[in-house]
Amino acid sequence: MTHVLVVDDEPQIRRALRTGLQARGYDVVEAAAGDEALVQLAAREPDIVILDLGLPDLDGSEVIRRLRAWSQVPVIVLSVRDRQDDKIGALDAGADDYVTKPFDMDELLARMRAMLRRAQPAEASPPVLRFGDLEIDLARKLVRRDGTRVRLTPTEYSLLELMVTNPGKLLTHRWVLQKVWGSGYGEETHYLHVYVRQLRQKLGDDTSIPRLIITEPGVGYRWTADPAP
Amino acid sequence: MMRFRSLRPPSTSRSVALALLGPGVAFGLGLLIDRRSLVGATSLCLLAVVVAAAFAGRRSGFAASIVAFLGLNFFFTEPYHTLSVRRGADVIALFVFLIVSVLVGTLLARALEEREKAERRVAEAAFLDRITARLISGEGLEKAMGEFARDLVAMFELLRCEIRSADGGAPVVAVSPDAPDAARDGPRLEVPLGTGDGSLVALRVEGAPAFGAAERSFIQALAGQAGLALERGALDAEVRDARVDAEANRLRAALFSSVTHDLRTPLASIKASASGLLDPSVAYTPAQRDEVLATIVEESDRLNRLVANLMDLARMRAGALVPSREPVWIGDLLNAVLARMRRRLDSFTVRVNIRPDVPPVSADPMQLDQVLTNILENSARFSAEGGEIAITAARWHGTVQLRVADRGPGIPAEDRERVFEEFYRSDAGAGRGGSGLGLAIARAIVVAHGGRIWIEGAAGPGSVVAFELPVAAVPQSAPESDRAPERGVGP
Repeated sequence: MTHVLVVDDEPQIRRALRTGLQARGYDVVEAAAGDEALVQLAAREPDIVILDLGLPDLDGSEVIRRLRAWSQVPVIVLSVRDRQDDKIGALDAGADDYVTKPFDMDELLARMRAMLRRAQPAEASPPVLRFGDLEIDLARKLVRRDGTRVRLTPTEYSLLELMVTNPGKLLTHRWVLQKVWGSGYGEETHYLHVYVRQLRQKLGDDTSIPRLIITEPGVGYRWTADPAP
Repeated sequence: MMRFRSLRPPSTSRSVALALLGPGVAFGLGLLIDRRSLVGATSLCLLAVVVAAAFAGRRSGFAASIVAFLGLNFFFTEPYHTLSVRRGADVIALFVFLIVSVLVGTLLARALEEREKAERRVAEAAFLDRITARLISGEGLEKAMGEFARDLVAMFELLRCEIRSADGGAPVVAVSPDAPDAARDGPRLEVPLGTGDGSLVALRVEGAPAFGAAERSFIQALAGQAGLALERGALDAEVRDARVDAEANRLRAALFSSVTHDLRTPLASIKASASGLLDPSVAYTPAQRDEVLATIVEESDRLNRLVANLMDLARMRAGALVPSREPVWIGDLLNAVLARMRRRLDSFTVRVNIRPDVPPVSADPMQLDQVLTNILENSARFSAEGGEIAITAARWHGTVQLRVADRGPGIPAEDRERVFEEFYRSDAGAGRGGSGLGLAIARAIVVAHGGRIWIEGAAGPGSVVAFELPVAAVPQSAPESDRAPERGVGP
């Protein structure tokens, strides 16, 4: 059974999440404040955390920073704050995804599933990933589409590798730039746009209905494709 | 710039010089031409008196008459070089000359003074007229006062002019452009503005003539006009404030009705639907149940959009709509918006045509997201089920233009500006659940970005909401990372 820690000071939100998640077979642990959340996290070791930012004692971003000191548990922020700065702040603190209230239950569940897949033990991650007709051989750094090799530049491949190894995670512009181009980068969002566009073209991701790489306006990108078994 | 010509008497040195020099020249010429002709010398002296009277005033003319009388006696009557006169005819001639020259000089000087006075009055009236017109013209009071002070500086040859208003704010100060920096204050005149505690201070450079009575009274009249203008300005500001208050009240009332109506309507359907589902005595079919649940979700979305718009309205009112700009690719953003509005737009055919050469715009992505959301929401509201919504974007000079066309009832030409007003609801929009805020907020955001937004008539039925934003200056290519792996990529 999957254990979910729900951290929110509003009992109504906790109730809605509890009933929705329990009905789908999740085991739910609740916390109404930041300190309580950290205690529950240590005691119960949940598989995933759903975290509100506006907590009575600690700010949600602070909770993320503290728990990231010793835990890699996936964290989905669930907040009424919808400003770009809030999203980027929480993601930079170590959150994996950000959902704004009001939210669709099915949307939240989809994001949770993506996170939980990523959290599978690393040795189980296959050297070859398949997404529909797309095949990525991480060991040999080869990409095939419909069995045909796709020629990627080194930077395009780095970007793709970074995304597919962090599926479902909302990757901020700054984070991706620093991972791919180096720590001196962070503001050059247009580099990302250029390379994401090239990647989408080469991978056959329809720009009007993207199914591989989703743009989160002003925040970053997300690899959304579900791997084929 | 006209100068104020005062009725100060001409300087003494000039009077004396002309009174002595004029007759002197006349004697010289007389002696040179015919040393014995009293008639010739008399004519020349009369001319000298006229010149002195005309250019140095009546006193100078009078003095010149006396000098000429004595000189003619001394040089041109027998016995020569004495002040005694031998012939009776010469005595008569000399006294006639004296009387005539004094009369002519005095009359001429007075006529000239009168003319000067009249000219000055006309000039004063014109000046007063001009500055009064400017002061009441409604242009910025501060600016009008500044120009008024500058005019005074030029007209009265002042070092500086200060206008201190009653409210104790910073005085309006004009300084003569000709005065050297080191010029020191000389004669000073301070007059009240006539209303309140304001005053006007005029200063001349050290050593300049003091203010005469005529200047004093004229400056007082001008200061009175300035005082009136200041008072009028204060009243205007009050009227403006009152108007702003009235507008704020109107908006508050509209907001109140919007909040009560637009928040309660979806709340009512949510509550009715949910409480209906809880009712144990009702047996819903699965289809009915789904429909009720769908209503709850849709109405929640509607509430959420209204709250978002109300928050934007509050930000707009607080002047907090400052975009934090970055290059935004409108196609990417549009995809994200369409994905989020999937359910809302489900029943329409949405066509997107964004030309591949469309460059990024310089915009705040979150705010632009709101613009697109509001426009699409508006199009969806006015479209019939299954109707088409066409979105196109193209480069146009230094901007990107985006158009959202619907096949709804369209907007009459005369209402195409008004749809962007807050709380405006078209007749066609009645009963379609809009808050009248969406397009107003879209416009506020677009304008804050230095762009513009407008309505176009569509070919056929429907309307087009169009906006344009400046292109972001961003290179269309990016360097390869030098950190990327070198090996084993591609064949």
